Amino acid sequence: MSEIRSFEERYSTALADPDVRSGLTAFQRGWRESRDAAIADLEAQEGRSFDELRAELAAIKDGVRADWEHHLDTFTANATAAGAEVVRVATPGEANALITERMQAAGADLMVKGKSMVSEEIGLNSHLEAAGITPVETDLGEWILQLAAETPSHLVMPAIHKRKEVIAALFERVLERPFPPDDIDRMVKVARTELRERFLASSVGLSGANALIAEGGSIMLVCNEGNNRMSVALPKLHVVTAGIEKLLPTYADAMKQVRLLGRSATGQPITVYTNFLSGPRPGQEQLIILLDNGRTAMAEDPDVAAALRCIRCGACADVCPPYGVVGGHAFGHVYTGAIGLVNTSFHHGIEAAAGPQSLCVSCGACATVCPVEIPLPVQILEVRETVARAGEAGTAGRVTRAALRAFQHPTLVDLGMRAVGVVTTPLRRDGVTALPSALTERGPLADRVGWRTPPAVPPRPARDTLRPGRLEEPPRLAEQPLAGRKVQLFLQCVSDRMAPDIPIAAAKLLRAAGAQVTVPRDQHCCGLPAYDSGEQDTARSMVRQTMDTLADGADVVTPASSCLAMLGHDAPYLLRDDLDEVERAQELAGRTYDLISYLTSGPGRLPAGSLDDGDRTPVTVHRFCQASNTLGRTDAIEAFLRDVAGVPVVPLPEASECCGFGGSTSVRNPELSAGILDRKLDCVDQTASSVLITDNPGCILHLRGGMHASGREVEVLHLAEYLVRRLPGVTSTPQER
Amino acid sequence: MGAAVTRSGPDADGAQRALLRTKVEAAASTYHEVEGWEQVAAHAASLGDRVAVAPSLHARLPALAETLEEQGCTVVVPGVDDPAADVADVPVAIVAGVMAVAETGSVLVAEHELRDRVVTMLCQRLLQVVAVEDIVDRLEDAAGWLAQRGGQAAFASLMTGPSRTADIERSLTIGVQGPDEVDVLVLTGAVVATEESTS
Repeated sequence: MSEIRSFEERYSTALADPDVRSGLTAFQRGWRESRDAAIADLEAQEGRSFDELRAELAAIKDGVRADWEHHLDTFTANATAAGAEVVRVATPGEANALITERMQAAGADLMVKGKSMVSEEIGLNSHLEAAGITPVETDLGEWILQLAAETPSHLVMPAIHKRKEVIAALFERVLERPFPPDDIDRMVKVARTELRERFLASSVGLSGANALIAEGGSIMLVCNEGNNRMSVALPKLHVVTAGIEKLLPTYADAMKQVRLLGRSATGQPITVYTNFLSGPRPGQEQLIILLDNGRTAMAEDPDVAAALRCIRCGACADVCPPYGVVGGHAFGHVYTGAIGLVNTSFHHGIEAAAGPQSLCVSCGACATVCPVEIPLPVQILEVRETVARAGEAGTAGRVTRAALRAFQHPTLVDLGMRAVGVVTTPLRRDGVTALPSALTERGPLADRVGWRTPPAVPPRPARDTLRPGRLEEPPRLAEQPLAGRKVQLFLQCVSDRMAPDIPIAAAKLLRAAGAQVTVPRDQHCCGLPAYDSGEQDTARSMVRQTMDTLADGADVVTPASSCLAMLGHDAPYLLRDDLDEVERAQELAGRTYDLISYLTSGPGRLPAGSLDDGDRTPVTVHRFCQASNTLGRTDAIEAFLRDVAGVPVVPLPEASECCGFGGSTSVRNPELSAGILDRKLDCVDQTASSVLITDNPGCILHLRGGMHASGREVEVLHLAEYLVRRLPGVTSTPQER
Repeated sequence: MGAAVTRSGPDADGAQRALLRTKVEAAASTYHEVEGWEQVAAHAASLGDRVAVAPSLHARLPALAETLEEQGCTVVVPGVDDPAADVADVPVAIVAGVMAVAETGSVLVAEHELRDRVVTMLCQRLLQVVAVEDIVDRLEDAAGWLAQRGGQAAFASLMTGPSRTADIERSLTIGVQGPDEVDVLVLTGAVVATEESTS
């Protein structure tokens, strides 16, 4: 078995292998379809929503942790009564030593292994090999990886990063006979033959546990291949390695897990085998090793304790856009996917977590499919903060930190951005900064700037144009739902400086609907970029400054959904240590809207057809990922465009998937961001639309840069920019290009 | 049967069997309703001339082996010494289920001893036989049965379809370490000697 290489090496290896990305994209798409169908069936069967079902399982897992020792004792007593030996160990070293010692005492030199993530966690195979014992993986995927001297890249599909051609070549090399790559059936049959001999020859078998059921002292073990049933039955000694978080009080609780586990893992209602073992079979010994290795510390940390609910289904990886580009060898450590970005720091140390956590784009998709409702995006940001505090983020981290601290100062930002605007004037065209091809096509910076043309920085920000009296009076709509209503426009820092047309269009639209729009002068940044970068102190200070700026009790409307995610969702959490501030944040959240919610469900609801200018050119819509995943928005923009603007909307495949902007991720890991962007642009191509509409300025600048760099002719517009063109009597006049 | 276990009522209108059939077939097994064990033996005999019978079933129902032999089959009942070798190349095997769960199309098989377990692990085609009155609606019914055996050493499996893998490019392949084919046979005749319903 291979040792885990450095993060940088794993990351660059994954990026260099085109199979990883194409294979994982196909896998994620297939998984999504099967899983969604299976969950829809379950909801119909149970007459309850996925959210209700997962809340129930989450509550069971939390209940166990509330009385952990009691359940551990009950499990131990019942398993012991059934004839097992139960040993609790604190560290991987103790577990490895115990297993080796027992095997040596029995004179055993071969172990057949069913799939066990804990055995990976403790590095058992290397340890056994060093002691002269041969471990043989019997799960097909794990066996393939053992032959290839690799580690699993997915919790339930360990070899999913490998294409069949690669596996066939591996089999040819190891087994010394030809394997046609398209004959997967043959590869499976040969594995069966090869492994069966090992099962029959081995005197020690190892398994993990999908649950430890306290009620009967039982191990629940699920599998599809049947290998686990053999590795626990045939040998004379059965060793179980399990984390102590796997406890469940009763068999009935286990069935609730079964209903969600198979569906979340592979889209199956239940795995082929769901085995319940109480004690050893006659003539056998059973040694159950319950591992802590940081789990107690996790339970004591309220920010991450919920991660101990994890049932290792892998769903968080199956929806993760960065995982789809680089796979689990980079996106994770031993544990892969979003959960791996959280628990790695507890099981393998903060250094091991530092690199992988930087790949998360904070899109929030993982939280939507987790069958035990772990708030993974929030937990990953907690880990990111720990990494930043520990100084483990390296040079990139120090630069980010310095930049964000400077960004806290509005005057500095104002002067700096105006200066950049002046300096880049010769390069500014059509909303981008057209860099010379000498920079984008060759040279050391090509990888960083060639894939996405940087946005234009106009010399004057939106706030200048929006000063009282400067903006020309827009035409008014026939019906004005906002007549006489005061609206504070929160510009969003990025649009203000780099896409001023967006807040200007939003202001015009709100005024056309009758609102008195004001632009509070001291507004700067909601703090989201700092929060996303793990700089929580900076983020808190910025969100406080924003709350001060917007203290006037009027409605706050922002054209940026990302600011709504911050002010409407994240801020109360970020300020949770001060109840007065939480109250203040909640008050602000209650009157803050992004444009689409203000115009659809908020006070500015526009009547059907009111922005219909007769243009029927079809458009498509990218849904800002956090709006979908964190704020729960579905098709609001599409419905609005159809009903209020009368425009045909072509559905965008994977509309809610992240576009790859991901805040600091796209700066720090441009190759990853470019991979996610490619997938998004491919989806846009499929719609054949010439206009792409969305409502988060970060996505817009990123998508515009991608369209420009790839030579696509698709116009990327903010919803407000698109709608303002449809006001009666308006011809399109971009403000600053 | 312990009183603690709640079982769903008899399947008077056939709805439970209909659901079970749908789920069994969705799991890539085949579903059959047969009158009694004679028909089970006939079905087995039509599939191969060597048939393994799980030792626990054989102990309860020695007549099954006789019937199989009458149908021209060689019967294999794995012994204690090397049960895996006894059944390693037997094409067809018969095992009795404790219950069938209509929700998932699973058959709950209790098989604590190795010589029982090798039958379901190593044969190529597995016949899982369950009495109609032992069909239950929900996984919780199986949980109830497991709970009332708490404290004893035991092994039980909910088996749902033939073994499979999708580890190579998520491509579904049936038949890995376990059976390639599974037949679920529901006994519809009166009085069926399965272990749990008679004890």
